[in-house]
Amino acid sequence: MKKYVLKRIVTAVMTLLVILLVLFILMQLMPGSPFNDEKLNDSQRAALYAKYGLDKPVLVQFVNYVKNMLTGDFGVSYNISKNTPISQLIRTRLPISIGIGGAAVALGAIVGLILGLIAAFHHDTILDTICTIISVIGVSVPSYVFALLLSYQFGFRLGWFPMLFDAKHALDSSVLPSVSLSMFTMATIARFTRSEMLEVLDSEYMLLAESKGMSGAPLIFHHALRNALIPIITVLAPLIVDLMTGSLVVEKIYAIPGVGSLLVNAIQSNDYNVVISLAFIYSAMYIGIMLAVDILYGVIDPRIRLAKEDG
Amino acid sequence: MKAKKLAALAASAVMAASLAAPVMADEATSAADDAALSAEDLNVMFETPVESLDPQQATDGTSFEVIADYTDGLMQMDADGKPVPAIAESDEVSDDGLTWTFHLREDAKWSNGTPVTAADFVFAWQRAVDPDIASEYSYMLSDIGQVKNAASIIAGDMDKSELGVTAVDDYTLQVELEAPVSYFESLMYFPTFYPVNEEFYNSVGDTFATSPETTLSNGAFILDSYEPAATEIHLTKNPDYYDADRVKLAGIDYQVIQDSQTALMSYQSGALDMTLVNGDQVDQVKDDPEFSAIAAGYLWYVAPNISAVPELDNLNIRMALTMAINRQDITELVLKDGSKPTYTAVPMDFATGPDGTDFSADQTMFSNVCADDATQAAEFWQKGLDELGISSLELEMVVDADDAPQKVAAVLQQEWQDTLPGLTITLKVEPKKQRVQDMQDGNFQLGLTRWGPDYADPMTYLGMWVTGNSNNYGLWSNADYDSIIEECTTGDLATDAEGRWAKLYDAEKIVMDDAVIFPLYTQSNAQMTKSNVTGVEFHPVALNRVYKDAVKSE
Repeated sequence: MKKYVLKRIVTAVMTLLVILLVLFILMQLMPGSPFNDEKLNDSQRAALYAKYGLDKPVLVQFVNYVKNMLTGDFGVSYNISKNTPISQLIRTRLPISIGIGGAAVALGAIVGLILGLIAAFHHDTILDTICTIISVIGVSVPSYVFALLLSYQFGFRLGWFPMLFDAKHALDSSVLPSVSLSMFTMATIARFTRSEMLEVLDSEYMLLAESKGMSGAPLIFHHALRNALIPIITVLAPLIVDLMTGSLVVEKIYAIPGVGSLLVNAIQSNDYNVVISLAFIYSAMYIGIMLAVDILYGVIDPRIRLAKEDG
Repeated sequence: MKAKKLAALAASAVMAASLAAPVMADEATSAADDAALSAEDLNVMFETPVESLDPQQATDGTSFEVIADYTDGLMQMDADGKPVPAIAESDEVSDDGLTWTFHLREDAKWSNGTPVTAADFVFAWQRAVDPDIASEYSYMLSDIGQVKNAASIIAGDMDKSELGVTAVDDYTLQVELEAPVSYFESLMYFPTFYPVNEEFYNSVGDTFATSPETTLSNGAFILDSYEPAATEIHLTKNPDYYDADRVKLAGIDYQVIQDSQTALMSYQSGALDMTLVNGDQVDQVKDDPEFSAIAAGYLWYVAPNISAVPELDNLNIRMALTMAINRQDITELVLKDGSKPTYTAVPMDFATGPDGTDFSADQTMFSNVCADDATQAAEFWQKGLDELGISSLELEMVVDADDAPQKVAAVLQQEWQDTLPGLTITLKVEPKKQRVQDMQDGNFQLGLTRWGPDYADPMTYLGMWVTGNSNNYGLWSNADYDSIIEECTTGDLATDAEGRWAKLYDAEKIVMDDAVIFPLYTQSNAQMTKSNVTGVEFHPVALNRVYKDAVKSE
């Protein structure tokens, strides 16, 4: 088990370094530079390039960047928040994004699971159809459409929740964005739970358990759900990444001071360091989640661990 | 079995933690900010976050507005945009126009209790030209302000202590210029010239102006809630402001909202007192008495690359292109935000002359060379084609990938192709930074671009088309024009306000007669302001909104 985890972690770190290099190269290919402003003339631009070391060869910039990063220095913002260290920009924003995203995952997973279970146990009834319709809508409508609809209906018309994020009332004002973001997760989980459960319910060991006299909650939770859980965890991991991309637009709609809105602004103004740092953090989070899922598999199902160790 | 339980436990812990995160943030901030909230706060929408609150680093309107909320310079803007005393009680200029002396008021204090002195200005101005700081607006001191030695210091050839600004005593500031600058007083309300207290600056080091604690106020309000790239900024009335009786607002609460639909709904629900609306929303609100169009100063124009494209070097072709545009349609059918069709190289409503009238009030001045006139356009076009010996022409125009420029470009494309037979226009849509780079590199044929005034004088536009200026994208060059601009900037006319003003029209005529640019429109911003809010001053130059006289009634 130790060897398996170690191998995974080494792979993850290597992947991250490669991602960083690719990001760096992509950045050079981005059209324009942070300082292409109509108010800046050639000599001013040259002075700014020199100030931030952008006049050096790309490889030198990359090595310097990695060196600084190892000491926790992600550089400073060039224009969206001039000369502010990236770490300072992210420090207050990341928790907000993670909070809202995390709430969305939790909400989506729980509600999705319940919907899926209802649909599976009431297979081919009106309840099943309703659950299916809900999940089709959830999968096909982008999160920002939900964000706009919810904001209009529950924020503007009914006034139940604030339309704008407010740090002083973080809980109230996180409800609508979290719900908007959770729809896709909820729908996907509901569909998977339903089909996995149907498969498991049809299996022979379930028949055996039932014939032994088990029924109700113990049967569902001990036998059926646990076996259905593995594929559900597998789909949950990439869904978390969808949440990150969804948050780019949803954060804009609710004026949330998170990393998503920061990234959008940074990309639009070619703020190299901010884009690289945030893309890197997103990658790290994704790889971290995949790593956690990999390890979790091994814990939940020893068969997976053993197979992987052999291979 | 144990392992399975652990996994379930871990999963639920992650969920619980993520649910709890916003709750914790909630508790942490609520205690600190409750006291600042008051019914009298003015709630204002910003489209973009502040880029920097360092007066010598900031370059954008959003940042300037906030800086000016809590900082006074030597001068401030009155309702008409004219410079009136602020920290300077009075000022005088020597007969040769080269030495300005500002007498500072003695009752102005920073929010830490230290008096505002002439040394604060010297320190700040030296920062503005310091090559280590590389201020993007250093040219406000060199090219535009003509402060002695500024250019050499920026270039790194001289020490910043050589800058032509001296504190004669605590309350007397003397500025030496390279050449007389008729609008020098109006530069003094531009934030690049605002004071910074050296002792305080050194005590906070690199964190200067990144939080309320690292910011000092000497103005109408005090910054009390801010972090870099914040979506919410709060200021409270400064009780120790020397002119505190004048300030009626208890505070200002800025909210950055980048989604225009959210902004308008927030305004309609009462969460905002002032908001901008975009072109698509104008139809919904244009009959509302709370709606108004605010002059934004920007001139949008098409720049032809005269030096690189032989066909565009032909005056008749250029004339045909500018005449074929229906500017009225662009503003009334496409933009709909109150933007005004413009037929002059200098836009309207920002520069007032010695006689008190707007430089570009008369929009028919150049109607023989710039008008919405399809018939004349076709005649010029035919003449041009004959001269070139061609029957068709393909041109490409670079355009920002933003909403309004793309819409305008589509109309231009259609109007040009409909009016001028044989012309094919292709649009190259690019991110703005790339478009600017392409134009600066001369890598374009036609370019849709804009320019906002930096100071209240026509020179902020006319200065662009001298030979070699980096914003003279088409590399047009005219010796007569250059000599007029020279004469008005540093020559004999620099001290003769009326003579200079008349001469500036001569310069503008050369630009228009030669169709160096095709002016399109002067931009307005569509604005909603609640009826109980009065006295907010809007300006197209330097400080877009000033709240010193603003009143929000019950």
